[in-house]
Amino acid sequence: MKNPWIRFILIAMLLLFTVPVYAGVPLDSVKKSVNDVLDVLRDPKLKPVSATEQKKDKLRVIYKSMFDEIEFSKRTLTRNWNNFTPAQRTEFVNLFEQILENSYADKILSYTNERVEFYKEHQLSDTQVEVQSKIITSSKEIPIFYRMILKDGKWRVYDVVIENVSLVQNYRTQFSDILAKDSPDKLLDVLRKKLSKK
Amino acid sequence: MRACLVHLIVILFLTAGLAVAQDAIPVSAPQGLAETQEVMPPSVADRDQPDQPLAETPDGSIDSMNDEFTEDELLEEYTAHENKEEKVEMADPLEPANRVVHEFNDKLYFWALKPVARGYNAVMPEPARIGVKNFFTNLAFPGRFLSCLLQADFGGAATEAGRFTINTLWGLGGFLDPASGGELKLQKQDTDLGQTLGVWGVGQGFYIVWPILGPSSPRDTVTLAGDYFLYPVSYINPWYYWFAVRAYEEVNATSLRIGDYEALKDAAIDPYIAFRDAYAQYRFKKIKARKAKLTSSASDSLLPAHSKNIPEGGTP
Repeated sequence: MKNPWIRFILIAMLLLFTVPVYAGVPLDSVKKSVNDVLDVLRDPKLKPVSATEQKKDKLRVIYKSMFDEIEFSKRTLTRNWNNFTPAQRTEFVNLFEQILENSYADKILSYTNERVEFYKEHQLSDTQVEVQSKIITSSKEIPIFYRMILKDGKWRVYDVVIENVSLVQNYRTQFSDILAKDSPDKLLDVLRKKLSKK
Repeated sequence: MRACLVHLIVILFLTAGLAVAQDAIPVSAPQGLAETQEVMPPSVADRDQPDQPLAETPDGSIDSMNDEFTEDELLEEYTAHENKEEKVEMADPLEPANRVVHEFNDKLYFWALKPVARGYNAVMPEPARIGVKNFFTNLAFPGRFLSCLLQADFGGAATEAGRFTINTLWGLGGFLDPASGGELKLQKQDTDLGQTLGVWGVGQGFYIVWPILGPSSPRDTVTLAGDYFLYPVSYINPWYYWFAVRAYEEVNATSLRIGDYEALKDAAIDPYIAFRDAYAQYRFKKIKARKAKLTSSASDSLLPAHSKNIPEGGTP
């Protein structure tokens, strides 16, 4: 330790390696949420069909804390988001959330004995991380990647990539196709109609 | 002691500088940004309201609902090791015709394929259906093997050859898949001729929906033809036996994934566009993954992805 350079290098290394403080945090947080979901799905007390609504309520609490639905909506609309008034934005976020819930709830409720494995965290930028996982069923493996963003000290999911298909991008293509021809009001109308059909 | 203090101060400055440089990355991402402009349609690139200040709530946190969308937020598309991303969107000059065929395929699924697969589901236990799927997968070995060879992926070709031998001999002619489990870990090489063309640099082209066969593109249509000739089932004579076997294979495959199509369709605002985009993304990323695999096996000394992310971003 006589040589000041060794000391310098040691301290420098110490400081350098402490920079990525959050490594592992996004993975752990999404893993916990998914495990909570699986616990609800496997809960024997909630097995009967009559408890479906109860199950949905419990799942809703989990995904509300897991997803950043505003970020999700904003990314699907991209620049079109700026043409929406604050009231339209609020309505859009709510409608979109309900549509997603309606269409994916049954699919999620049908999962029971599948295994979920989290295996990798891939940094996209300073505040964005992709957590890679896969669902292993008896006949196949489905890769599911969660893209997460750090806001106010909390990591939340803003995009889900299922078998290489990004949900945000999929909806972005659909919305931009509609908004190229029609106004935001018309798009909200389309969403309202879709919801009432259910 | 004094030297130590000086060092500490120097280091503090360095780390502060580092932190500032890191903050700067998303804004100044050097090569990435030039590409960003390309991907955006020119009409929207010049936005009407350029620099809206961040809307803040009284408690100081950012109010996302009133916060404008800014270009930087599309960063997700520019991953660390891939600054240039080609357009994933697909041209669709045949849209009116494609929509008609899409509707036809949709009806075919709900009126014929799904009910048949349901009935089949009821009489065949799942392990048997998985066995049948494995059997057909094993039979399709020539297409995957040749694709690996044509991509100069000799490791992949060897894996495929090994899988075929093991599964045919010890897997009851392909019904079981002993090669992918246990200590062998020979995974199926998920590739085809269309991907081979993609790896060679042939572009995707435009979107085509074929009756019965579904979403495709000019490039992937070549695959349909090529894989037809490389698939032993195609040589069954007379043709209606071939047709029956292919139909059975399709019913079996469908029986294992009933509900997937419905889920994607239900969630879509415009199902036609949703499937077109899903197809474009799926093929694009598959080919990207094949290319990445080929380059990484060519040079093993690639740095881990995130280590490239940090240092060179500081100065534009």
